[in-house]
Amino acid sequence: MDGNDRERVRTRRQVLAGAGALGAAALAGCSRNTYPDNDASTGLSGTVDIAGSSTVFPIATAFAEIFGKNHKDVGFNLQSTGSGGGFANHFCPGRTDFNNASRPIRDPEQNQCGANGVEPVELVVATDALTVIVNDEADWIDHVTVEELATIWSDEERPETWNEVNDDWPEEDIELFGPSDASGTYDYFIEAILHSGDEKLSHRQDYSGTEQDRTILQGVEGSEFAMGYLGYAYYSENTDVVRGVPVDDGDGEPVEPSLANARSGEYSPLTRPLFTYPKLSALAEEHVAEFARFWIENSTNEDVIADEIGYVPLDEETKEEQMETLEAAITEAQQ
Amino acid sequence: MATQNDSSTAAGGFGRVSRTAGLLFRYLLLAATLFGLVVMTVLLLYVANDAFQPLTADTGWHLTYLATLLAPAFAVGAHLYRTNAEALQTGALAVGLVVVSLLFSGGAALLLVDVVVPLELFAVAVAVLAPMAVVVAVVSRDRALSFTAQFATTVAAFYISLFGLPGPLESLLGLPSVVPSLVDAVLYAPYAPDPWLAVTLVVGGSVALAGSRFVAADRGRRTQATVAGAVLVGIALGAFVGPLLGVDPMPATVVAAVGIAPPAVYATGVAANREHERIGLLLPAVVIAGTGLGALATDALGFAGPDSWVTWAFLTSPHSRFAEQAGFYPAIAGSILLMLAVAVLAFPVGVGAAVYLEEYAPENRFKRVVDVNISNLAGVPSVVYGLLGLGIFVTYLGRSAGTILVGGATLGLLILPIVIISAREAIRSVPNDVRNASYGMGATRWQTVKNVVLPRSFSGILTGTILALGRAIGETAPLIMIGAPNVKFAAPTALGEAASAMPLQVYAWSSLYAGEEFYQKVVPAGVVVLVVILLAMNSVAIVLRNKYQTGE
Amino acid sequence: MSADDLEEALTRRTQNAPPELLSRSFFFACAALSIATTIGLVVLLTGEAAKFFSFSAPLVGVTGETATVVEFLTGTTWEVTSGKFGVLALVTSTLMVMIGSSIIALPLGVGTAIYLSEYASPRLRSLLKPGLEILAGIPTVVYGFFAIIYITPALQSFIPDLGTFNMLSASIVVGIMIIPMVASISEDAMSAVPEELRQAGYGMGATKFEVSTGIVVPASLSGIFSSFILALSRAIGETMAVTIAAGSQAKFLNPFNPGSYTEAAQPMTAAMVELVGGDITGGGIAYRSVFAIGFTLFVITLVMNIISDLVAQHYREEY
Repeated sequence: MDGNDRERVRTRRQVLAGAGALGAAALAGCSRNTYPDNDASTGLSGTVDIAGSSTVFPIATAFAEIFGKNHKDVGFNLQSTGSGGGFANHFCPGRTDFNNASRPIRDPEQNQCGANGVEPVELVVATDALTVIVNDEADWIDHVTVEELATIWSDEERPETWNEVNDDWPEEDIELFGPSDASGTYDYFIEAILHSGDEKLSHRQDYSGTEQDRTILQGVEGSEFAMGYLGYAYYSENTDVVRGVPVDDGDGEPVEPSLANARSGEYSPLTRPLFTYPKLSALAEEHVAEFARFWIENSTNEDVIADEIGYVPLDEETKEEQMETLEAAITEAQQ
Repeated sequence: MATQNDSSTAAGGFGRVSRTAGLLFRYLLLAATLFGLVVMTVLLLYVANDAFQPLTADTGWHLTYLATLLAPAFAVGAHLYRTNAEALQTGALAVGLVVVSLLFSGGAALLLVDVVVPLELFAVAVAVLAPMAVVVAVVSRDRALSFTAQFATTVAAFYISLFGLPGPLESLLGLPSVVPSLVDAVLYAPYAPDPWLAVTLVVGGSVALAGSRFVAADRGRRTQATVAGAVLVGIALGAFVGPLLGVDPMPATVVAAVGIAPPAVYATGVAANREHERIGLLLPAVVIAGTGLGALATDALGFAGPDSWVTWAFLTSPHSRFAEQAGFYPAIAGSILLMLAVAVLAFPVGVGAAVYLEEYAPENRFKRVVDVNISNLAGVPSVVYGLLGLGIFVTYLGRSAGTILVGGATLGLLILPIVIISAREAIRSVPNDVRNASYGMGATRWQTVKNVVLPRSFSGILTGTILALGRAIGETAPLIMIGAPNVKFAAPTALGEAASAMPLQVYAWSSLYAGEEFYQKVVPAGVVVLVVILLAMNSVAIVLRNKYQTGE
Repeated sequence: MSADDLEEALTRRTQNAPPELLSRSFFFACAALSIATTIGLVVLLTGEAAKFFSFSAPLVGVTGETATVVEFLTGTTWEVTSGKFGVLALVTSTLMVMIGSSIIALPLGVGTAIYLSEYASPRLRSLLKPGLEILAGIPTVVYGFFAIIYITPALQSFIPDLGTFNMLSASIVVGIMIIPMVASISEDAMSAVPEELRQAGYGMGATKFEVSTGIVVPASLSGIFSSFILALSRAIGETMAVTIAAGSQAKFLNPFNPGSYTEAAQPMTAAMVELVGGDITGGGIAYRSVFAIGFTLFVITLVMNIISDLVAQHYREEY
């Protein structure tokens, strides 16, 4: 044999070796094809889009997280846009499945939804004690009356310094932080405080308005003469840097913001129900309906709602009512 | 003569820096230069401290790592600095390569575990390689077929392979399916490669091919084949070694292919081809050995590590209402997918526009208008691009808000001017003599662009694109404007799905969550991860640019 | 024969062959996309802004709440809910950011450029330049975070009245952010000054200080000025840092009064982000006001870029 033949033998050997290796790899590495093998899930799959109130946002996020752990194929998209912002721009145009709200839906919003074929189902999910906060070191104030609050926040009066409202208070510039006008908290505050007297006052606009409650906290934290208002859940996590001001609703007794006082109804007028509005057509989908059921079922859960987040859970009676409403809606939707 | 003097400065010996005013000025300028850098370094150290909390670790832990990692690495580095500076550079480059490769392998693993099924990747790869073979056959018969025929065959081959006949038109025209696409054929074949084999073949195969080129470019086909085979086998081994370490076979092969193979190949290449830089490999060896030794030692001696917030759990868990359990995973996945979308959209269009403007466009008023136009677009605030995305993609075209496609398109438009400008710079830097030489030999414009201009300017274009992508990763405002969700619990799996992104998640955490712990713990961790990824991308770009500028 | 004509002559014969036509059209389409982007931007912004202003709303067939141009451009109160749309409140805050950041960035940026181009050894330069690029690559949301977490508390320790949200820390942080832009463009301009000019200075016995400040800087002045304008337009367009650090209350402040920097205010970009957060597709006046502000911002940055181009063209010394 000469070089050529040897070459050929070597090359043939190499080809055989390569083919053998390939075959071995194929044998070792190939198996029965089960594509597309979406591994047998618990059956529920889909996406749930939720937008709306920043106050209710922590509740929605918590339940979405817990539900999602048990149903891995259900995805959640959550946004905190404010109640009004959520209705006008996400829910009524039909983009989201749930809208959280810290105040009831209004007629113009009902109409807008109706015009787009979206039917909202009103569900109560918790109770909130809307808290007025001041800096921890603001010793100059120990309680506030509803009238004083109305004066401070009204557009008509627009006091510049604290002593214009109450002579005992110092002559320092008023700094205000609060939710923006897309927020249900804003709307509720107007209803409860500014419209509580004979005159229906409007909310002043020269304050720092934001949908992000964290910003309200930071602002009040940074100045001794600042005041803000937000949902109790945000306050309760930061009691070391801001203080909730007791509110006197006219009977001479200032009541501190707390879950107990909200539960008993003594903390008025700032105790308010929190809502979520699933849309009827979304309830036709199994995963949305299941999530809604899960939420209402757990709306009496003390651990999650009261201890972890900071709102008052529903009592059994209200929960039963809500479940009935929900089941009726689901039946209607799934016909 | 009065000016005969010994003081030599960079100005060639004529500047006398010995006068006080000049000295003061010099140090003032140095202070000015260092101000921003120092402030930023201090701030980054603060954030790193908040995120990693190094001071909570045992002293023993610190001492162990000092002994096994820091001291030897420093010693080797100092020694190399004094004896063989080039080797030090190579060694440092190798260390950087290890870090960057591991980061990228993490991202690749994320994609292959949660987003794309490896079989799909394999199917697409097969469906791309088959028509390529057809193209090669067609091109080799250059003389027999006209250009139009070649072009038509190529397009047909790719179309049938990827979409089948009649493909996406099926639903539009109501025609029955005639020929299934190669993609579908592979996906629904009775037998298919296991995930780890699919990854080995596709990802590992590419790395093996590139690696063999790098290591044995001038040693003949056979050596190259051997090297490629060795790399492939090594990566396949990962599937078997992985389970021993408690890792699934598929992610193990991904890490082996993207994270371990490239540095190993680089090291082999340096060892084999560059004799006198070989000693530089001591540095990465010491670093890797030191880290491993340190980990074993701290484990054995029972020293507690720092109470860091950047943990494996942080990187792989979804968001949670509890700060301790909150994770960054969906944001990382969203960012990676957004980057891919942006790269696919912006890179070809940007380079194409740059090529047109530099090679094809005649010097007339239209071109000047386009020039001014592009430099203006580069200066438009990112918020306005967000408005553009909102107004056109969401409102006008009616796409759902906040999806990867819309986000990718918006960010792509944002960085398009930057890509065009840097690509133009790169193309402009190709000397005209080379072009003219090509034209002089009778090449057409397209041939010149394809064979002369693009290859030479490619590294510059790549650098510019990586820097632009780095900018896109960090942009938050456009994503807010197009309505990306504040919280997402899972990684997005389709282009039409809403996605979060890293900077957006950090912003949401810092403004939406009540608890102080979110702010103090999770936000710094997120910031640190974001900054590390950006630094990695920027360093890759800078190193690329330096290498090719000095290599040119 | 210029290079262009030469190329043209050499490629004329094959110009219309299919591969050439195909590649040419593809590249042209790519370039056209950039024009399409600008056209899209202009059409979108003017279209939506037209729906916002009273004089143009009827032209585009929109009824409902609008604002007059006069009120928009001269009003000093920006309160969307009560229908007050005076953009000056936002513009002055943006101006404050611009002034504050330029006080930091311009001197430091030019100083950096002089140092890098005149004084630094090549080794030092190869370390510092990448450092500056990295500085430029850090995302703006991180800068905003730094401002509110680290810089504001530091400032609060010696300015007692400083609230959590203030323009000062926002301006500082934006200033640091744009230093690399000023430095790199100025340094390019300074490197373009030919060595002969410097040598001439040294030959006459000037010190390095005198050469740098007396010869190099004046010679590259147009480039430096360009870099100023570009950096400032970047500062104007900066969004996240000011949204996080400067607050959400639109106030009409005097940008030239140092005292107003301790207050919270809301620049144009932050206002846009805040409005969008609550109102994306509503179609109400709040939605349109976002586009009106965007339009104003676009016009301002466009004008600044054009000025920068003109200055560069007219005053650039050709060596």
